[in-house]
Parts: sequence; C-alpha cells; structure tokens
Amino acid sequence: MSEEKERSQLQSQTDTTGTDDAPLQDYQSSLPGFLGTIDTAISRIESVLLAAGVLLMALNTISNVVGRFVFQSSIFFSEELNRILIILITFAGISYAARQGRHIRMSAIFDALPPRPRKVLMVIIAIVTAIFMLGLAWYSLQYILTQAGRGRVLPSLQIPVWIILVWVPVGFFMTGLQYALTAIKNLIEKDIYLSTSVLEGYDDGEMEV
Amino acid sequence: MALTIFSIMIVLLLLGFPMMIPLIVGAFVGFYSLFGGMGQMETMVQQMMAGIRPASLIAVPMFIFAADIMTRGQSAGRLIDLVMSFVGHLRGGLAVSTAAACTMFGAVSGSTQATVVAIGGPLRPRMQKAGYNDSFILALIVNSSDIAFLIPPSIGMIIYGVVSNTSIAELFIAGVGPGLLILLLFSIYSWIYAVRNNVPTEEKATWGERALALQKALWPLGFPLIIIGGIYGGIFSPTEAAAACVLYAIILEMFVFRELDFNGLYDTAKSTGLITAVVFILVGAGAAFSWVISFAQIPQAILAGIGIDQMGQIGVLFVISIAFFIGCMFVDPIVVILVLVPIFAPVVNSVGLDPVLVGTIITLQVAIGSATPPFGCDIFTAIAVFKRPYIEVIRGTPPFIFILLCVSALLIFFPQIALFLRDLAFAK
Amino acid sequence: DTWRYAFEEAITDVQGVFATKFKEEVEANSDHEIQLFPYGTLGESADIMEQTQAGILQFVNQSPGFTGSLIPEAQVFFVPYLLPQDEKELNEFFRTSKAINEMFPELYAEQGLELLTMYPEGEVVMTTKEPVAGPADLNEVKFRVMTNPLLVESYKAFGATPTPLPWGEVYGGLQTNIIQGQENPMFFVESTKMYEVTDYITFAGHNNFTTAIMANQDFFEGLSEEDQKMINDAIDVAFEYILDYQQGLTEESLAAIKEAKPSITVTRLSDEQRAPFMEAAKDVEAQFIEMTGDSGKEILEQMKADLANVSD
Ligand code: NA
Ligand code: NA
Repeated sequence: MSEEKERSQLQSQTDTTGTDDAPLQDYQSSLPGFLGTIDTAISRIESVLLAAGVLLMALNTISNVVGRFVFQSSIFFSEELNRILIILITFAGISYAARQGRHIRMSAIFDALPPRPRKVLMVIIAIVTAIFMLGLAWYSLQYILTQAGRGRVLPSLQIPVWIILVWVPVGFFMTGLQYALTAIKNLIEKDIYLSTSVLEGYDDGEMEV
Repeated sequence: MALTIFSIMIVLLLLGFPMMIPLIVGAFVGFYSLFGGMGQMETMVQQMMAGIRPASLIAVPMFIFAADIMTRGQSAGRLIDLVMSFVGHLRGGLAVSTAAACTMFGAVSGSTQATVVAIGGPLRPRMQKAGYNDSFILALIVNSSDIAFLIPPSIGMIIYGVVSNTSIAELFIAGVGPGLLILLLFSIYSWIYAVRNNVPTEEKATWGERALALQKALWPLGFPLIIIGGIYGGIFSPTEAAAACVLYAIILEMFVFRELDFNGLYDTAKSTGLITAVVFILVGAGAAFSWVISFAQIPQAILAGIGIDQMGQIGVLFVISIAFFIGCMFVDPIVVILVLVPIFAPVVNSVGLDPVLVGTIITLQVAIGSATPPFGCDIFTAIAVFKRPYIEVIRGTPPFIFILLCVSALLIFFPQIALFLRDLAFAK
Repeated sequence: DTWRYAFEEAITDVQGVFATKFKEEVEANSDHEIQLFPYGTLGESADIMEQTQAGILQFVNQSPGFTGSLIPEAQVFFVPYLLPQDEKELNEFFRTSKAINEMFPELYAEQGLELLTMYPEGEVVMTTKEPVAGPADLNEVKFRVMTNPLLVESYKAFGATPTPLPWGEVYGGLQTNIIQGQENPMFFVESTKMYEVTDYITFAGHNNFTTAIMANQDFFEGLSEEDQKMINDAIDVAFEYILDYQQGLTEESLAAIKEAKPSITVTRLSDEQRAPFMEAAKDVEAQFIEMTGDSGKEILEQMKADLANVSD
C-alpha cells in the first residue's frame, strides 16, 4: 500500500465531524456604515477574549500541577484566576452567542407556526430578551458598585472582588443590544432572523455567518 | 407563587424563548414578589455569579476543549477505530461501547457535562455513519453520561454524605451496583434497538487488523492513561486531568499528527468558549431560580401538606424519589440535595431507613433529573455541543427514562442491589 | 415577624446547634418566628454575608476566617497558638475579651453588621495519612488548607506544602492521594467523614476554630429596645449552651470515629512536641501585622492582654 493511499484511507476512517461541525466563521456585522464597523470590531474583541480565556485557563490549571509536583509549591491564586476567566468566558460568550444565534431554545412549537405569526413571535422574543438582558446589565452594574463600596477582596490575589465582575454588565449589555437589533432587523426585513446576521433554521449550515 | 412561576416558565419555554429567559424570568418574578419590588435584584445577580463559581465546573470547558481538539484531529478517530476493530461486527456493539465509554469516563471525570462532550462528541458522528438514528444516539449519550453520578467519585454523594452525616465511602460502594445495572439495561436496550432497526454490522476484523488499529491508537491511548492513571494515581484532581488532556491533545495534534495549526487551535478555543458560555449562563440563571425556591421555603410548604409521617418505609422512599425527581427537573441537583435532605432526615430516621440506601436512591433521581426535560444540564450541553434542536435531543429519551425509573422502583423493593456490595465491603 | 438566619454548616453541626438554640429562645420569648437556612441553601459563606448586608437575611453566622476578605483584622483568629489551649481559659476569654466584645463590633459596624457574639467551635486537628510528631513529619506533605494567606503561611512554617483545593474535592483528593492532610475542628472531621480517608488525627493545639454571629445593623437598630434585649438574651443563652455542648463534643466525635474506624490513630502532641510548631508560628504573627497594619496590631495586642487576664 502506497504512502498516499494509506493516508487517504486513514482520512476516511477518521472522518469524524468536529463536535462543532462548521468552524465559527468570522462575524461580519450587517449593520450599516460606522455602526457596522464598531459591531464587527466588538465581535472580534469578544472572540479574542473567548479564545484567550480558554487557553489561559488550560495554562493556569496545568501550571498548578507542574508547580505542585516539580517545585513542591501550589499556585495559590490558581483557583481565583480560573474564576476570573470563567466569568470572562461566560460573559464575553453570551453576547457572541447572541450574534451567532447560538443560544439554546426549544423551538418545536415556534417552528410549526406559519411564517406571519412566527415573525411576530420572533420580534416579541427578541424584545423581551433584550429587556431582561439590559435590566440585568443595570442590576449587575449596581451589584458591582455595592461590591466596590464594601471593599471585599479575593483571599489569595488580594484584589477587589468587583474587578473580576466588570465583564458581567458589559456582557449583559452587549447581549441585550444584539437582541434589540434582532428585533429591529426582523421588523425591517422580510425574512425571519434569529440574530442580526443569522436566518432561522438549525440545519442551514450556509446561513451560519 | 410557585405554581404561577412554574406556569410562566413553561409557557416561555414552549414559545421558543432562549432557554435562559424562562429561568431568568422565573427568578425575577420570585425576587419581585418576595421583596415587593426591584429592591433586591442585586442578589439575583449575585446568585447567577454563584452558579458559575464552583471550581469543579472548570473541568467542563477543559474537557470540551480537549475533546474538540481530539475530534478535529486524529486522536479520537484512532481510538474509535480501535474499539470498532473489536466490537464492529457485533450487533449494537458500537452503541454498547458508547454507553460503556460514557459510564467509565463519567465515573472518573466526575462531570456528566464533560462526558457528553468528550465521549459523545467523537462517537456521535461514528454512530450516525453506522446507521443509528440521531435521536437515539443523543439520548444514549446523555443518559449514559448520567450513570456517572452513581459511580465514584460522585460529588452528589459527597454532598449527601455531609448533609445527612452518612459514610461517603459506603455511599460510593453502594452506587456501583445500581450504576452497573443501569449500564446493563441500557446495553440490552441498545442491542434490541440495533436488532429491530436492523443497524448493519461491519465485517469482523482480523487479529492483524486489530493489531494495526492498536498500533495507530498507541499515542491516543495516552488519554485514558492520563485520566484514569492520573486521577486514581493521585497526580491530578479531575479538573487538572482535564487540563492535562488539553495539553496532551495539543501536543499530539499539533506536533505528532500535525493536524492542527495555530489558527485551528485558536478556532477550537473560541468554539469551546462559546459552548461554555451558552451552557454556563443557564447554570447561573438556574442558580438564581433555585435560590428563590429555597428562600421561599417552597419544598417545606409542599411536603408539610402530604403527611409523610404516616407512611411506612416504602411509602417514604417513594415520596423521596418523587420529590427529588421533580425537584431535579427544574432546579440544580446540588441545591436540591442541600435543601431537601435535611427536610427528609427526621422521617428517614423515624421509619428506620438505611441512610446509605436513601442516598443511593436520591443520587439516582439526581442522575435522572439531569437528563429529564424541561431543564437538564446535560440536555443543554448536548444542544450546545451538537447544535441539534431541543426536541430532537429529548425525543429519544423516554425509553431511557423508563429504564431509570424501573431501576428506582427495583431499588426501593430490592435494596440489596445497592447494599449488597456495601455489606460485603464493610462486613455488615 | 419572620426573621431569617443563615449559617455555614449543616443543621447538626455546631453552628446549626447554636442557631437552633437561638431560634428556640427567640420563639419562646416573643411572637417572632425564625427560619433557619443551613449550609449551601442560600449560597456559600460570602453570599449569605452579602445577603445579610443587603437586609434580605436578618442573622448570619460567618467565621472570621471568611470575614477576613471583608474585614482584614478578623484574620487574627488564624494566628497559630494565639488562643488558649485550655478549654476553661478559652471560654473565659470569649466571655471577657475586650477585643472581641468591644473592638470587633466597631469593625463589623463599618460593614453594616451588628456583631452579636463570637464563639469557639472546637480545637482544630490535623488529619493525615502518616503520623505527625513534629514539623519534619510534614515535610513534602501536601496539606489542604482554606485559601487564606495566613493559613498558607502557617503551614509553610510548619514545613508542609500547603495546597489549596475546593472543599468538594478534598475527600476525593485524600482518597487518591493528591493531598495527604487537611485540618478542621474535630466535629467537622467526623461529620464530613475526613477520617474515612486519613489514618492519623493529631492535636497540635495550634488553633480553635472561631465563628461569629451577626445581625443586619439597620434591622437591629430598627427594633424596639425590648426586642433587642430579647435577642441579646437569646444569644447569651445560646452562647452558654454551645460552650456547654462543646464540653465533651470533641471526645464524643472521637469516640464515634473510633467506633467507625478502629484503626485510626489519635495523638495529642506533648508540650515539647508542640514547641517547634510554636516557634515556627512566630513569623505568621509578623505577617498578620504586615497585612493589617496598626489596626491589626492594636487588636492583636488587646487580645494578648485579654488572654493574660484569663490565664493565671
Ligand atoms: Na462519578
Ligand atoms: Na431536569
């Protein structure tokens, strides 16, 4: 068996699709002009934070093991650093997921509706979601201010707790904004949009922008 | 209040709102009515943060990341080829192997969500190719992953042990019997499924082909070694083992198999972050909702109304099973254990039930709850990872839930399923 | 009214026993009702503390070790060998200490909290896989401690490798040997089953786990004088009750453990054996002063004065 053939056979045998079939495409905002530029830029920042957060988390956790075994000393802030990263990932991720139309929903009844009511429902869903996200942005900001006022610190890092929460209101706000824009998009355009740039429908791989 | 909140949540869920909204609205309505306005919404935010804080959750993104790298590269495929060379010719062999792999991985990693990703991720496409229906595959993965709750180490059992002052070592051993029984029943069901749907089998591999598959899988066999050897060998905590798998996966796919470049790594990290966020925001919202239920003392109110004191042992066990089953459908399992166990403790004592048996039954209900609609962490994870609609993920679950409920009933009538090994080990 | 009271332990642990007694007293002497929320039902230690500051909860039991991230001076309770090793002296100290009964309430008040009392939960013991007779035996032992800088320093000084591990992973970590030791009060070693996965229990006398019960200050100040007195009386009753309850609690826990695991070895270090640990601990005191400045130093000195008063 030639080298070439073996390789191709191996390819076919291992042709398991990724857990996340299509790699996430870079997001291009569908908003006009300057707004679009900002929107695209923000999405880039979010995706960098997401990837960096995950990579740092792996690095941090492994370093702790190495420290414990090789240098006989644990990294004390390791757990706190992971906590910071998980908040960063979650809240950079929820607005990124909103852009990509990836938030989990149970759409069986929704999908069965005729187009017109479906569109109305989509607008309502987007508006209600936006309201709650923006509300949470507000209350999480209040929460941070309260935290800052009390001066609680992380035991190991000795930095104020509120600093690790700054991504929370930002994430909620950006998510709320995405849903608000989705509502507007659905009002302007003829089709039904899950997010500003994603048409509804799970199987439509191509529509995934 | 509870009934209103549950109704609102179900309606929002069915209408197709993003899943976080029913949970957030449920928590919101709870805070609003408990405190007569918006005055305490900060605590709702606090509890959402508390939900995603537990250090053990870090294992989830780490295993997602490792599994995604393995699947995009060659490691996962080579490992599956190895398994297939041994079971491919058997009817339902792949399904049974998947169930067993989920059980083992879940047992060791301690995280059912990580199991859905790490085992389900690579095996689902292969099962699809082998001719299994996707709903069956998804249900098999989600439900087999939940067996992990019963097999040590089990965080649910540790918490039950602490709250109820029960030996954790005994609980651990008691979980093994029911866990293996469930695996056996799932395997039988998989076999029946494969026969009835005429899932084709592969030609039996020769020993030469098996040797070749083994040789190709030598490097990837490092993963089970890291996880099992690392954790039981006292080198890693489960979370650290997950991170070690990430490191090993990166080394293999980038430098040994050369399947992954830096762009690929970046994309994989990004997609891991996205899946993590989508699931964790639900975990956070669920925690805020759980807080409301706990603060309003809703379980106490409901249980006070049913007169549990007058029931015998069997009756009490049934009430406990039902209470935990329903609780875990809507609320995070850990919170359910923390809230309900102390409430039931006096009656468990007064009717003379073995707390180890009660703990095993409770852990089983917790396992079922995580895979049961409407709110189940493992369902969310499966949706986020596999990008399949909610309804498709749960469509195949009824037979599995039925099996699990049968095992619950069996445990109640034949406690020896759980206690046999315990009695043997502790010479009771 | 219905008042809500949250604490950090299970209902059957020391904090739960205190809370139950307090509830009984309040409900017997007034028309108020108290709902108890044990560990985890409303969140972790920091959560219930914040909820009390926000006025959602009226009472909270939090150990100063956790309060240390909010009130640094509270970490004084982690300075090893500060508290008396003798139970009678210890109880008298908590009753009479000026630092505890006058200085700490002011610090808590700055955080909107009315400090009602502090009380001891029991001597902290080490549970390990190998015997411990001196610092040399802790060499290279990965010892799980709470993430608190002073505790970490203490165990470094004792010669161990302090290893932070989330509480949920401690049992499994001891079982698989990631860590080889941990410390907790005796009753907690029993209730959390730590003895199942370790073989040696060592009393080194380095600390007695202290905890504090407080009320939301606005709530407390808004009460009638009569109610305030009723609460303070209930606290006093619960305080004496818990000191009583503790007499022999350590022994009872030990007996229960020995019955469940006859092979366990229990060692009380002699004064000579404790000396090197006490010597090592001196740096930790300096570290505490460095972390908390003049205010911490003042508290520490007052505590030492209070201690001198009870030991003679
Ligand atoms: Na497990
Ligand atoms: Na569920």
